[in-house]
Amino acid sequence: MKNESEKVHLSIVVPLHNEEENVTRLHEKIHASLAPTGKSYEIILVDDGSTDGTFEVLEKLSKGDPLLHVIKFRGNFGQSAATAAGFDLARGEVIITMDGDLQNDPADIPRILKKLDEGYDLVSGWRKSRKDRLLLRKVPSKIANHIICKVTDVQLHDTGCALKAYRSEIVKRLNLYGELHRFLPALARIEGARIAEMEVQHHPRLFGASKYNLTRTYKVIMDLMSLHLFIRYLQHPAHFFGIIGAALIFLAMVLTGWMFYEVLMRSAPQEEFNNLLTIAFLFFTAGFQMFFVGLLAELIVKTGQRREVYLLDRSAK
Amino acid sequence: METLVNKRKPIIRDDDVRREAVALSALVVCRNSAEHIEAAGRELVRALEAFGEPFEIIFVDDGSVDQTFTLLSRFAQADGRVRVIKMRSTFGEASSFDAALRLSRGKKIVYIAARVQVNPHGIAKLLEKLDGPTDLVVGWRYPRRDSLLNQIISRTFNALTLRWSDLKLHDLNSGVIVCTREVLEHVPLYGNLNNFIPLLAMRQGYRIAEEKIEQLPGKFRQSRYLNDYVQRFLDFITVIFLKNYSKKPLHFLGFVGAIFTIAGAGINLYLFVYRILGLGAIAGRPLLLLGALLLVIGIQMISIGLVGEMVIFTHAKDIKEYNIEKIL
Repeated sequence: MKNESEKVHLSIVVPLHNEEENVTRLHEKIHASLAPTGKSYEIILVDDGSTDGTFEVLEKLSKGDPLLHVIKFRGNFGQSAATAAGFDLARGEVIITMDGDLQNDPADIPRILKKLDEGYDLVSGWRKSRKDRLLLRKVPSKIANHIICKVTDVQLHDTGCALKAYRSEIVKRLNLYGELHRFLPALARIEGARIAEMEVQHHPRLFGASKYNLTRTYKVIMDLMSLHLFIRYLQHPAHFFGIIGAALIFLAMVLTGWMFYEVLMRSAPQEEFNNLLTIAFLFFTAGFQMFFVGLLAELIVKTGQRREVYLLDRSAK
Repeated sequence: METLVNKRKPIIRDDDVRREAVALSALVVCRNSAEHIEAAGRELVRALEAFGEPFEIIFVDDGSVDQTFTLLSRFAQADGRVRVIKMRSTFGEASSFDAALRLSRGKKIVYIAARVQVNPHGIAKLLEKLDGPTDLVVGWRYPRRDSLLNQIISRTFNALTLRWSDLKLHDLNSGVIVCTREVLEHVPLYGNLNNFIPLLAMRQGYRIAEEKIEQLPGKFRQSRYLNDYVQRFLDFITVIFLKNYSKKPLHFLGFVGAIFTIAGAGINLYLFVYRILGLGAIAGRPLLLLGALLLVIGIQMISIGLVGEMVIFTHAKDIKEYNIEKIL
């Protein structure tokens, strides 16, 4: 790591995977758009186990540039891990992430910074005119965005846009793993961040292949489920599990009540209800277990490392 | 409170570790190996001397009840390069290995489980392979001279594990591993995970290779307990889980849970339609019971997955999911 003690205002974090052709131009463009601002900055490029010549290019660039830091992963650990590594190394007060494929334009960074200075903790890009294939990328992305907004309660037009600016206090609190990089605004929101969005440019992909695929839908759904839980119930998870438990017990009571009614009031033969009674017992048991699962969850949260879930507003003067 | 914490002794103290540097540390875990440990130890010393660089050998006596420790301590007294750790009782191979690792100083580590009785002169070939772009070399016991049952179990285990990973190895749990120290710093060592070191190392991005090593003829004991073999299987499940889902339990449990839930909901929906259309009574049908049961199991699995996610989200902040090779 170069110039470790020096303070910088801005850290640009870009995860890269097989972007051999794009890296040099990306590096140039970032410098071209940031040098005129007069602010101190650093560029952190993370090579996430590229199998092409990405790292060789990075090595060459790094030699001639004291502002460039390169992290090379031992293998391919995914975009979340790459972003997290960049975050861990970043020293800037403001951290900016973007894609390595040049579809985001570094020229937008100064504008995003200005927006951040209006008093936000996170400014997310919005690719209003997307230069991608309609059916394969834009439509699924729109649908996903809609669902993500609904579930995570963060109102953004384009949560998937990689170009984002964060205050470092927020970033250092994020627990980024698995594939949670898709939900960074939601994670930041859990930490109490004030979020804004801003239109940014979007260019068609020149080199390399897109890494998007539809089979990830399952993982996204699962992650959304956990996020939903984290956002609404992190302070009192027993409520969440309690609701499920109560629903099961309610069902069990309805079944038992119905059986009593039929057998006692209308003297139906009791044998006919043997099955239903078993199901009622099953629901009772499951319902009670849910309550205990909820207690367990409470215990986990209470012993966790993140006891304070509020964030002091440092921008207020 | 604080003094209480400070009173806890570290497993290996700094002054336990010797100062002079060595290039190579051979770690040998043995348990009840009195019959062959002396001969094997002498052979190992001779093999490592041929290697030509300073080395050390650390024996771990994992709670033997025979003469193993006496023999080993005599050996250590006679040869300054040999050290012995005596565990208080049997803690298993992985823990013994871990203890030896903490005491060792070599950049290169040779791990040998005494139970497999390989020819130590074969280690040179493994070390040679390590000099290339390889971070870890697994010994492949060939020719294999083991009891038939052990061979069958081992083959099945290998086939199962390798099917689930991208590793192309013949003998994953051979008990002979040569690697750089760095690899082991990134691999968890507890329980029976020593059987999966190559797999766990690969997950961290290290390059794995294998090399043949001769197994010596000898008396091979089969485990008297079926339990040992059942544990193998459970470990296998653990590793699959650790390898793929350690930070996203819901992706795994949610998948199983979703299958149960969908199956249960499907059955109940079918019965519901059946009843609505007036095709017959459903209250007495066992299928109804099955549907309800599947639904409940499914919901529970998903809930447990969610609790798992909560554990990770609130407790695993310091676990890094990446392994950095270089920073420029």
